Amino acid sequence: MDNGTAMISVEGLSKWFGPFAALKDIDLKVDRGEKIVICGPSGSGKSTLVRCLNGLEDHQSGRITVAGLEVMNDRRRLEQVRLKVGMVFQNFNLFPQMTVLRNLTVGQTWILRKSQRDAEALAFEYLEKVRIPEQAHKYPSQLSGGQQQRVAIARSLCMQPEVMLFDEPTSALDPEMVKEVLGTMTELAGSGMTMVCVTHEMGFARQVADRIVFMDEGRIVEEAPPAQFFQAPRSRRAATFLKQVLQHHTAMAEA
Amino acid sequence: MTYDFQFGYIVDTMPALLDGLLITIEVSVISIAISVVIGIVGAAIRLFEIPVLSQVVGGYVHFIRSTPLLPQIYFVFYGFSGLGLQLSTFWSGVLALSLWGGAYNIENVRGGFLAVSKGLREAAGSLAFRPIHYLWLVALPLGVRISLPTMLNTAVSVLKNSAYLQAIGLAELTFVAMDRVALDFRILEMFAAIGVLYLGIVLILSLFVRRLEGVLQRPFRTS
Repeated sequence: MDNGTAMISVEGLSKWFGPFAALKDIDLKVDRGEKIVICGPSGSGKSTLVRCLNGLEDHQSGRITVAGLEVMNDRRRLEQVRLKVGMVFQNFNLFPQMTVLRNLTVGQTWILRKSQRDAEALAFEYLEKVRIPEQAHKYPSQLSGGQQQRVAIARSLCMQPEVMLFDEPTSALDPEMVKEVLGTMTELAGSGMTMVCVTHEMGFARQVADRIVFMDEGRIVEEAPPAQFFQAPRSRRAATFLKQVLQHHTAMAEA
Repeated sequence: MTYDFQFGYIVDTMPALLDGLLITIEVSVISIAISVVIGIVGAAIRLFEIPVLSQVVGGYVHFIRSTPLLPQIYFVFYGFSGLGLQLSTFWSGVLALSLWGGAYNIENVRGGFLAVSKGLREAAGSLAFRPIHYLWLVALPLGVRISLPTMLNTAVSVLKNSAYLQAIGLAELTFVAMDRVALDFRILEMFAAIGVLYLGIVLILSLFVRRLEGVLQRPFRTS
């Protein structure tokens, strides 16, 4: 059943939106505890790929296995998969009518059937980890973007997933809040979580990733450890992309 | 020639009017409650696109909205008994108004559900919520909040439309007033009286909904 140490295995994955091929024959293996950063120009299919991993998008051909379960377009199967896979979105997607604490406990009590007391204990544990226990009784709209995203990370972790997916978690944040969210993600990486992150934060990628996956036009163009990827990208497309991203970062730093 | 407006007449007929008002309130409150339930269940069926049921709900909404209420009331009162369903005048009225308001509430609530961001549905899905969890924990509290003003509209319409039930002989407020008019011809007194009474209960209903909106808005106030 368990494919060696592979937590995620993608074989020959293709996906179309109508006539548009969003993903073309993707192969990817992620080992338990590995941290992968997926980058690439906009429209390259990186978000679509991570969204396929927990079945938010279905796929037309190929095989995806996550934590020993094949991802199939079947409601029960998707529920099983999603119990093992946490996801963090660009727009946080916290439940606005619930307090921070309830955002963290609602899944535990309703889905995992834990007692309110146990759920709250775990919620506070993770709120401590993301450093906002004092915000527990506020509503999401009362928090900054960075705080909301850290709550969203904690909410996912409260379900005790085996894999965490991040879909551009800092893209909607003001620059000064990017750092606190990346800090939380770096600490999570240190705890041994298997992570797949779509992000343009190359500093984070360099520091945390075991492997960089570079995508363009629905294909994986290059896969390499960060040191190799940043110093000597093999493909021209990756080289151009890196130049653009790094120029942007330099410009930001000088501004 | 001036009309001799007699307040005393209103005072004299008030007990009868209040009996009618009580019937109006009873039939309306029950119908509004049932129509809200129909609205939520129907909108949920459409939200999750449950096969067959979703089409049935769509057809029902279309039918109710495309035909006049009065024949609908007659149909329930006379037609259903022909089909073997024996209902009292009161419960025929409740059924007709509930079916009518329910159709509108399905559209009201559905609009609210559609206004809940797609991202929240994905977040719920990612937390392994089942559709019923999403409905109960996310779509309902957020969607109903959004559709509350239109649901109030429908509730007020149900209340006012209860006056049509005089057609099947339900002794609600308008029926009582028309009855007195036929007896005593004190037209202005009677219409002034029921005008004030209808205004009063609609006002109370509106205040209640505004209170509810205030409670539901609490999480969205910043700071």
